[in-house]
Amino acid sequence: MRSMKSVSRNLLAVAAAAGLLAACSGGSSGASRVAASRIVKIGIDLPLSGADASVGISTEQGALLAIEQAQKKGLPGGFTLRADPLDDSLQGVHSPQQGASNVRSFVSDAAVLAVVGPYNSNVAAAEIPITNAAGLAQIGPSVVSDGLTLGKAAANLRRANPARNAFFRVCTTDSLQGAALARFARKLGFGRIYVIDDNETYGLDLANRFDHDFRRLGGTVLGHDHLAQDTQDFKSLLIKIAATKPDAIFFGGVTSTGGGLIRKQMFDVGLGRVPFIGGDGIADLATVAGKLADGAYFTLAAPNAERLPAARAFLKAYTARYHEPIGPYSANAYAAAQVAIAAIERAIAAEGGAVPTRAQVLAQVAATHNLQTPIGPVSFDAAGDIQNPVISLYGFKNGTPYFISQSNLTTK
Amino acid sequence: MHEFLAQLINGISLGSIYALIALGYTMVYGIIGLINFAHGDVYTLGSFFSLAILGLLGATGELHGPALVIDAGLALFGAALLCGIAGVLIERLAYRRLRNAPRLAPLITAIGVSFILENAMQVWKGPSPVPFPAILPNPAVTVAGVAISLQQFVVVGLAIATMLALQLFVHGTRVGRAMRATAQDRDAAQLMGIDINKTIAITFLIGSALAGVAGFVSGVYYQSTWFFNGFGAGLKAFTAAVLGGIGNLAGAMLGGFLIGIVESFATWLLGGQWSNVAVFAILILALVFRPSGLLGETLPEKV
Repeated sequence: MRSMKSVSRNLLAVAAAAGLLAACSGGSSGASRVAASRIVKIGIDLPLSGADASVGISTEQGALLAIEQAQKKGLPGGFTLRADPLDDSLQGVHSPQQGASNVRSFVSDAAVLAVVGPYNSNVAAAEIPITNAAGLAQIGPSVVSDGLTLGKAAANLRRANPARNAFFRVCTTDSLQGAALARFARKLGFGRIYVIDDNETYGLDLANRFDHDFRRLGGTVLGHDHLAQDTQDFKSLLIKIAATKPDAIFFGGVTSTGGGLIRKQMFDVGLGRVPFIGGDGIADLATVAGKLADGAYFTLAAPNAERLPAARAFLKAYTARYHEPIGPYSANAYAAAQVAIAAIERAIAAEGGAVPTRAQVLAQVAATHNLQTPIGPVSFDAAGDIQNPVISLYGFKNGTPYFISQSNLTTK
Repeated sequence: MHEFLAQLINGISLGSIYALIALGYTMVYGIIGLINFAHGDVYTLGSFFSLAILGLLGATGELHGPALVIDAGLALFGAALLCGIAGVLIERLAYRRLRNAPRLAPLITAIGVSFILENAMQVWKGPSPVPFPAILPNPAVTVAGVAISLQQFVVVGLAIATMLALQLFVHGTRVGRAMRATAQDRDAAQLMGIDINKTIAITFLIGSALAGVAGFVSGVYYQSTWFFNGFGAGLKAFTAAVLGGIGNLAGAMLGGFLIGIVESFATWLLGGQWSNVAVFAILILALVFRPSGLLGETLPEKV
């Protein structure tokens, strides 16, 4: 029944797109077509509605801010820079099918020279083959699953054009995050941990790596369980976990796939005092758990922007523009958009002010070297991963995250 | 042993919600032979109505004394009444004209109604999970070393009280007798002077009101609701109705409790990822080996 829903939704989207196309072609005159060729666009694909909206929108705002600032400053050759944001949520949850269809629409729009997004790793896995085939540079602000850039899985995503890599990310990987979480957990003094994951690309990778490293560091993993879909009752799992008397519970997954409800229900089975640890997926835990989020810890695959001197201008501009504090991945999205903008600008300059091709922009993205961003200098390795990644640890107090520490991870 | 009891109690609490929803499936099937796939969404609608009523009453946190009884009572009865009305409207607008159509037609209409309800609720409260106020104080009582929370007593107690009331209604009143008669033979019932349309409307009213009660109960129990909750819960309640013998009231209750217990025990013994597998494996086994369900044959009388 789920697939029927997405089919009907996709049909609607196709019908709407056809309508729009008809409207556009009806209205376009010769003059506007000339103007159109001086427009370059950056596509943004993020979950802008639904359960992931709170993190999706703050991430989008980071990218939009970078694009607005670049447009205000002016592009070489007098180009107009536009953002083209699309929502990859379907029925309230991030959807690989919707993401793929968004990216196909970016590919078919010749003015789109780069894409920022998506937020979720399983959506990225559906999109990378499309941007790879089209040679369209894609920069992920927050997708951390290893298989997107590394090993056999990544090679399989690039099967349309194995020699080419079009996907980059400004955050670090699941395995580095999982390893860092294991070290944090040991440092916080936890010896016995129960591991849960949501059985999705991101959560499973993260939990497996944590599980492996936590044991290696001398910790005991009391058990490792995976969640079922479409359920809101986690009490039987938690009763089972309570019987093992854990020092902490580790959750690989996101708030919307069970993180929030598990934290709430921990209080119903007498596990309320037990710390709850997860990756960047539970950075928005308080949206569901409220003050019950206190006692939870999470990492972000990014440095703490508020402590980087280079980030001060960004933070000021962000709060001035949106009148709210930054979200967990706003700074990353800003950096990802900066990478795209800088590459487009260099490609325009190299072309002597003419419209650059996607291949030229892609080459410039890959050549990004020590670009100054709010998350530190950005350079990419051959796989498309950021060099010198940083992980930061946060806890919750009164339902709001507070910064604890951060560590530099050696690059592979 | 301690953990066994804790899982059993959790399974019974979960199962009481499934049982309440399963009753609506089974009543509607019993009387017009329709699997009302929109029923799971009426359950979600119940939690949304309760939430809206509690919002109007200004109840955002734990309530005590008379305020608890009044606010919770209004939310409970309000949600049941509004869901009942929604059920009657759905029957009148979407199913009545198709009553004599091939069986596939109303089934597809039911799926359509399910989409409409889900999307309407998504527009109403947004696509994210919505927090439900924790109105019930939640002290735990320890029985034989197992902590049972007040919430669990209330959830199970409300469910059982509602089911008993339904049994009394169906077997002890004229309307109940009309419902049973219509379920047995619609044409003959009509010849005996029973108003079929009215009887079917009342069946939808009661079935949907029970879903409304379940919606209120789940909101209080989980302190969270989501427009899409009815999808998973509806499928499991449908499984419960089939397991118990679809069309059979006692069977739906038994099936609901069994499914809740199976889900709880599967999570405990096999791991969380197997809980849905266990539940739906039972659906398949029931359909293959005992299509009439656990109580289907011993009580031939439907509704």
